[in-house]
Amino acid sequence: MEKLLQQVCKEVDSAELFEAKSKTIPVNFEVNRLKSIDIFESEGKALRVINKGRIGFSSSTGNEDFDLIVEKAVATSEFGSTASFDFSRETKRSRKEKINVYDKEVVDKSIEEMVKVGEDIIEKMKDFNRKLRYDITILKDYTEIEYLNSKGGNFSYNKTAIVYSVMAQQIEDQDMLIIESSLESGKDNLDAKELTSEIIENLKWGDKIVPVESGKMPVIFTPKAALVLILPIISGLNGKMVLKKISPLASRKNKKLWSDLLTFYSDGTIDFALGSAPFDDEGIEMKRVPLVEKGEIKNFYYDLQTAGMAGVGSTGNGLRAGIQSEPIPGISNLVVEEGKVSFSEMIKDISEGIVIDQVLGLGQGNIISGAFSNNVQLGYKIEKGKIVGRVKDVMIAGNAIEELKNIVALGDKAKWIGGKYKFPHIYLKSLSVSAKK
Amino acid sequence: MREIFEKALKNRKNSADYIEIRAEKKEATTIHFQGEKLEKINCSQQAGGNVRALVKGGWGFVSFNQFDDLEEKVREAIKVASLIGKEESKLAVISPVVEIINRELDKDFRQISLREKKDLMENYNNIIMKSNPLIQSSNVIYSDRFSTIYFANSEGSYVEQEKPFLSARFTAIAREEDNVQMANETVGSTKGFGIMEKISTKAQRAAFRAINLLKAQPVEGGEYTVILDQTLGGVFIHEAFGHLSEADFLYEDERMSGLMKLGKKFGSPKLNVVDDGSTPDLLGSAKYDDEGVRTKKNYLIKDGILAGRLHSRETAAKMGEEPTGNARALNYRFKPIVRMTNTYVENGDTPFKDLLSGIKKGIYAKDCYGGMTTFETFTFSAGEGFMIRDGEITDPVKDVVLSGNLFTTLLNIEGVGNDLKMIESGGGCGKAGQNPLPVSWGSPHLRIKKVVVGGR
Repeated sequence: MEKLLQQVCKEVDSAELFEAKSKTIPVNFEVNRLKSIDIFESEGKALRVINKGRIGFSSSTGNEDFDLIVEKAVATSEFGSTASFDFSRETKRSRKEKINVYDKEVVDKSIEEMVKVGEDIIEKMKDFNRKLRYDITILKDYTEIEYLNSKGGNFSYNKTAIVYSVMAQQIEDQDMLIIESSLESGKDNLDAKELTSEIIENLKWGDKIVPVESGKMPVIFTPKAALVLILPIISGLNGKMVLKKISPLASRKNKKLWSDLLTFYSDGTIDFALGSAPFDDEGIEMKRVPLVEKGEIKNFYYDLQTAGMAGVGSTGNGLRAGIQSEPIPGISNLVVEEGKVSFSEMIKDISEGIVIDQVLGLGQGNIISGAFSNNVQLGYKIEKGKIVGRVKDVMIAGNAIEELKNIVALGDKAKWIGGKYKFPHIYLKSLSVSAKK
Repeated sequence: MREIFEKALKNRKNSADYIEIRAEKKEATTIHFQGEKLEKINCSQQAGGNVRALVKGGWGFVSFNQFDDLEEKVREAIKVASLIGKEESKLAVISPVVEIINRELDKDFRQISLREKKDLMENYNNIIMKSNPLIQSSNVIYSDRFSTIYFANSEGSYVEQEKPFLSARFTAIAREEDNVQMANETVGSTKGFGIMEKISTKAQRAAFRAINLLKAQPVEGGEYTVILDQTLGGVFIHEAFGHLSEADFLYEDERMSGLMKLGKKFGSPKLNVVDDGSTPDLLGSAKYDDEGVRTKKNYLIKDGILAGRLHSRETAAKMGEEPTGNARALNYRFKPIVRMTNTYVENGDTPFKDLLSGIKKGIYAKDCYGGMTTFETFTFSAGEGFMIRDGEITDPVKDVVLSGNLFTTLLNIEGVGNDLKMIESGGGCGKAGQNPLPVSWGSPHLRIKKVVVGGR
């Protein structure tokens, strides 16, 4: 790697080489039985250069001649953006020294063991109801990252992930009930029982369909659905959106926007969370970045280039969306702090309202404005403090920036979603709900 | 490539019921302007491949970037497939083909200099940025790629296909204080660079629409009669209905296949829906699919009756139907699964103005931000919306998201226009993590009653 970099630096001022190598193995069950086993191996290189003050970038997978990558990176630098940063000279962690993201037991887990996990989940679900369709994926992933730049920065780490995901489907006449749930971790410590008991509880609640009338009503977003409200805010806190003045939150730093209850941060240092790593994808130490504290925006998040343009420092959020992408501002893990009220107390508090558990169309539409509008793919009606059944053909809509001003309470038990978001239940005083007549 | 593939297949044929090898070589360019700045310009090369093996009904799959030891990959795929297989393998019978398909482009984008591409996109970006002081920012994203796909299987097929693709996406972002609105225009093609040279009206339109959205009121939620334009009609038929026609959802699921029984009434006799991968040079077109099956025109709904569905070789065999040429893989990292190609609603006979007449309070929904479906429930977002009052198109509305149950909504289509347009956008279709797969869609204007629209 070092040799390659020396070769590049004959032609440009400075350069950075990022290499990723991974092996992902999903074991797939379809319609209650083992269907396929896949092995995805991949490796690639990405080269970013600063040439006469401008950025060039090129990437490659496979066995291409390195000269060709260099040639393309240099060619793109002719038109590239003016670099507003230098590659980091030092890649050393100053805070928490070791971030655990690698578990040898994941690497050593055999395919046979993974098959067994899936079979056990299916048996457990069949014990509850034999007639439903269950699709299950048990997946493990192992990644090696290597980074080196010509200013002296360099690091490497290995990372693991394991995922159990279950889809349960019940069809009656033309009604389909679909419940999806998954567990993710960097460590081989997942408990399938957590999954199956959640799905069984949801199947029980969803057994009966009950009508709901259009109007404004109190709602509870489960941790699984909370992204509906949080995603538009994450997008508005992105340093690039702020720099370009596209974000409606751009001028709101240090101003009180939301309830005292709302505090959240980006944190890439949590052991075995899927977004964690010692460094971001351009050699800046990952850390905990407070984004919102007691309803006030405290920070936007940045990569090196955007931070340089904005005249601030990188927050260690320069992430690549794959080997073909340059680093851009991204969220490592996002944690919304818990409140004090349990889910069952929230339900008891509502005389008429709904619980939103799964939506369709997440991230669709004009996200940056804060607007959301989603079909409630899985939701439950609350009447007089009790869940009475499942709702159907219902939509919710609003503007996340506005709706989060109406938080009544946050749940006392936050849950990891997708391995990188940790959300509590969010109870809103009122939200617009549209239903079929 | 053929020799390497055949060598790897030769000694292994007897240890699996079926084996196939795929490889892909690709070069790609991306240019991205955001606001006044060139945000990104990059070139990439990709090479990779995969092996898929079928043993007693179980599939093993290995994808990789390193071709050093292809025989070892074949062994690995067979090994994991053997862990599954407990029954009989079933694949629809097709005759082996050997064919090399090259594409001659009128103005090959590989021959156009990076500077020329950049200058052209800069020009479009300037059109957007300078069109109105309320335009706050923009995204102009150009991308092109030229792939060659190599395929061989243990039955003696060998197919090489060249697949060019280029697209441009224009986003205009308008802002008035806290009100931020955006509008997209896209174009996609499998042909030469020429198409990129004459799309300045698209850039103007993106800016114009974003500015108009600043004035639009949020739509009031409720149940409406809606008219979908050709883009949204196409997205609707793709998202809501097309995905349910993909036999991999059905073939092992009795209840699902019961819902999708051929011969069942799905709509009025005016409704005809087609998927056709054999139309030359549309985004979803290819002579052979990724299992080496010849593509063709398939009726999904004929005169309102469910007439067919989309198959891979496995789903066709298991359902006792003919293969349709719809097994497609996004790229070498993925295995082929059942996908749409070019999907559209055929023309009816109602002119646009007759579709409008008689609607007291409805919505005219145009263009699309995106759509999603899980089985029978769909949702999609219009890029632009207008209220219809007493048969006239009136004030603009924003954040229009339509949702419903597929089966009832298809039956609620009460008017089919006579102005079919195929839409080739730069986006694509997503399924099982394979996104965006190039597809095209189209429709004449459609009038649908009782659609739920979300709103504040």
